[in-house]
Amino acid sequence: MCRILAYLGEPLPVRHLLFDTDNSLVRQSYSPRMMNTFLNLAGFGMKAWDPASLQPDEPFTYRATTLPTFDRNLRFIASKIAPTCLVAHVRGVTYSGESVVAETNLHPFHFAGTRVALAHNGHLRRFPSMRYALVEHVDPALAQRIEGTTDSEWIYALILSQLDDPYGVPETRELADATAAALRILRSVRDAHGIDTSSPVNVCLSTGRALVATRFSFDYGWYPPEDEMLETDLPFVSLWYAVGGEYADHDGEWRMTAGDPPRSLIIASEPLTTDASSWLEVPEYSMLTAKLGPDGLAFETRDLDV
Amino acid sequence: MSEREIAGFLATVPLLEGRDEADLTELARVMRRRTVPAGDVLWQQGGVAREALFVVEGAVSATLQVPGERTVEIGRVGPGQILGEIALLDGQGHTMSVRATEATTVLALGRLDFAALLGGRHPAAFALKRRLAALFTARLRDQLTHLAGSLGGEAAELSAPALADLEQCRPPDSRYMRRMATFHDFDPLALWGFLTSGTYVRCPPGRTLVAEGRPSPAYFLTVNGAVEKVIVRGDRRIRVGLAGPGKAFGYESLIDGVPSPLAAVTRERSVLLVLARDHFDELFHKEDAVARVFLEAIQRDLLASLRQTLRPCARLAASV
Repeated sequence: MCRILAYLGEPLPVRHLLFDTDNSLVRQSYSPRMMNTFLNLAGFGMKAWDPASLQPDEPFTYRATTLPTFDRNLRFIASKIAPTCLVAHVRGVTYSGESVVAETNLHPFHFAGTRVALAHNGHLRRFPSMRYALVEHVDPALAQRIEGTTDSEWIYALILSQLDDPYGVPETRELADATAAALRILRSVRDAHGIDTSSPVNVCLSTGRALVATRFSFDYGWYPPEDEMLETDLPFVSLWYAVGGEYADHDGEWRMTAGDPPRSLIIASEPLTTDASSWLEVPEYSMLTAKLGPDGLAFETRDLDV
Repeated sequence: MSEREIAGFLATVPLLEGRDEADLTELARVMRRRTVPAGDVLWQQGGVAREALFVVEGAVSATLQVPGERTVEIGRVGPGQILGEIALLDGQGHTMSVRATEATTVLALGRLDFAALLGGRHPAAFALKRRLAALFTARLRDQLTHLAGSLGGEAAELSAPALADLEQCRPPDSRYMRRMATFHDFDPLALWGFLTSGTYVRCPPGRTLVAEGRPSPAYFLTVNGAVEKVIVRGDRRIRVGLAGPGKAFGYESLIDGVPSPLAAVTRERSVLLVLARDHFDELFHKEDAVARVFLEAIQRDLLASLRQTLRPCARLAASV
C-alpha cells in the first residue's frame, strides 16, 4: 500500500506539499494517519510540470528508493521548483523477502514518448496469476516498456492502451473513459481467473494539464484467510481533496483559500494537515476529473460503476 | 452553585435519568461550573477533547467548518443537554466548533470521570449507554433530514425482502472477526456470544435490505462485502456512508421506533450477521457481558456514522 498526492493549479512550491505541513506526503511515508498498520518506506517519486521550464510538456522527474525524509537532494529540489501540476508518491510494500524495492518499481510511471503519468495506491490481489492474461489487452509496444514487477505499471500500460493515441495528450474525458475501460478489463480478467478478493485501485493520472483520480476497489470487503494485508485493507482505501483559490500558510495554518471559480486542487490519500476542515473526502467508488483552463479549474466527481 | 444545587440540576438531565441521589451527589463533586460570555468559543473543530459539558443555562451553537472558508450551523444545544461526548468517546478531535450564542453556564465533566460513568456493569452504566445510543440516533436523524432536504421530493419506493427470504449461510471464521478493529479490545468470550447470537445471510449486489421510511426488519452487521447507506429522491441520491466489514446498519429504527431514515443496499456481494427485531430488543436491554459488547458495538458504529454523515454535509455546504 502507498500514499499518493497530486496538485493542479497556480504555481506552488513543491516543498509546501512534500514537507511543510503537519501531515505532508513525506510524513505519510513514516507516519500515515489513516493507515494503522503499514508504513511507506520503499521509495519516493514525483513528476512536476512547470510551464516556465524548458520543454514544458516534459515533466521534471525525481525518483529514489531512499527514505524521502532523509533525502537532502529532494529537500533542496522541493524548495526550488513551483510547478502548476504535480504527481507524487511514497511506496509501501509488504514486509517480506518477496518485495522488490527498486527504482524501476517507483511511481509515477511514465513511459518515454507518452504524455500521461500514473501513480497508484492499492494492490491487485493474486496479480501474478492474472498478469499474463492482461497482455492481450495491452498495446505490444507499451507492454515492451514495462520494466518493473508491480501491478501498478501494468495498470498504467493497460490505461494507455485504451487511448486512441497512447502517445498523444488525451482530453480529460478520454483519459477518464480509458481509466474506466481499463478497470472493466481488470474486472473481466479477475473473473476469468476466479479472483474475487478485495483489490484497491486508487490511481492518479496526469497529463500536466489535467488530473484523473479514482477511489475504487474490486470486491471490497473480501479477504483471503490469514491475509497479511487484512488490517490495512479493512477500511476502504482513503482519498481526499481540497479545491479552491490557493494553498497557503495563513498565520501558521495551511489551508486552501476560497476560490470561485477554483484555481487550485490537491488530491491526496490523506489530508496534508491534521485539521481537515478545508478538505473533502472523495466518495468511495468514484472518479474525480480536473482540467486547468484560462478561466480556472473545471472540476467534477462521478460515480464509478464498473 | 453548591454541590446540592448541581446534583439537583443533574437530576433533571434526561441523559442521567434514573441515577440515584448518591450517584448524582458523587458526580456533582467532580463537576466544574463555568460561565462563558456570548460569542466565546468553547472549542474548535478538530481540537482535542478533554471534557464533556452539560449546559445549565444559555445556549451554544455547533458549527461545521467546510472548504471555501465557510461555516455551517449544524445545531443548537440548550439547558439539560450534553456537548463534547462524541470526541470524548471515540478519542478523535471535536466534530464541530462550539460557540456560546448567549451568556452560558456549563458543568464540565473530565475525561476520566465521564469514562467512569460508562464503565462497569452497573445497571446505571447500561442505562446511560442506551440513552446515549438514543441521543446519537436523534442527532444522526437530524443530519440525515438536512441531507434529504437538499434533494427535495419524496423518498423512493424501495422494498426490502423479508428476512426469511434471505439466503442463510455459515458463520465466519472467528479469527477473521477478531482481526477487525471494531472488535479488537472485546472480551473473546463475550464477543463470541455476540457473534453467535444471530443468523448469517449472503446477499448479491444491489439487494435493498432496509427501505427508507419503513421500519428496519433487523440489525445487520457486515462481515464481508459492503453495503451503501443512501438517501434516494427520484434519480438523485446521496451516499451517506458505506458499511464495510465490522460496520452495522439498520439499527436506528430499532433504537427509537421511528421508520428508517435511509435505505441500505448491498454494493458488493455481502455476508451479514442479522439480529431480528426481537433479538435486538433482548440484547439491547439485557445487562450481561454479551449485551455490553453489543451496546459498545452499536455506540462505536453510531459515532462513526455521525462523523461519516458530516462528510456529505460538508460536501453539500461547500457546493452551495
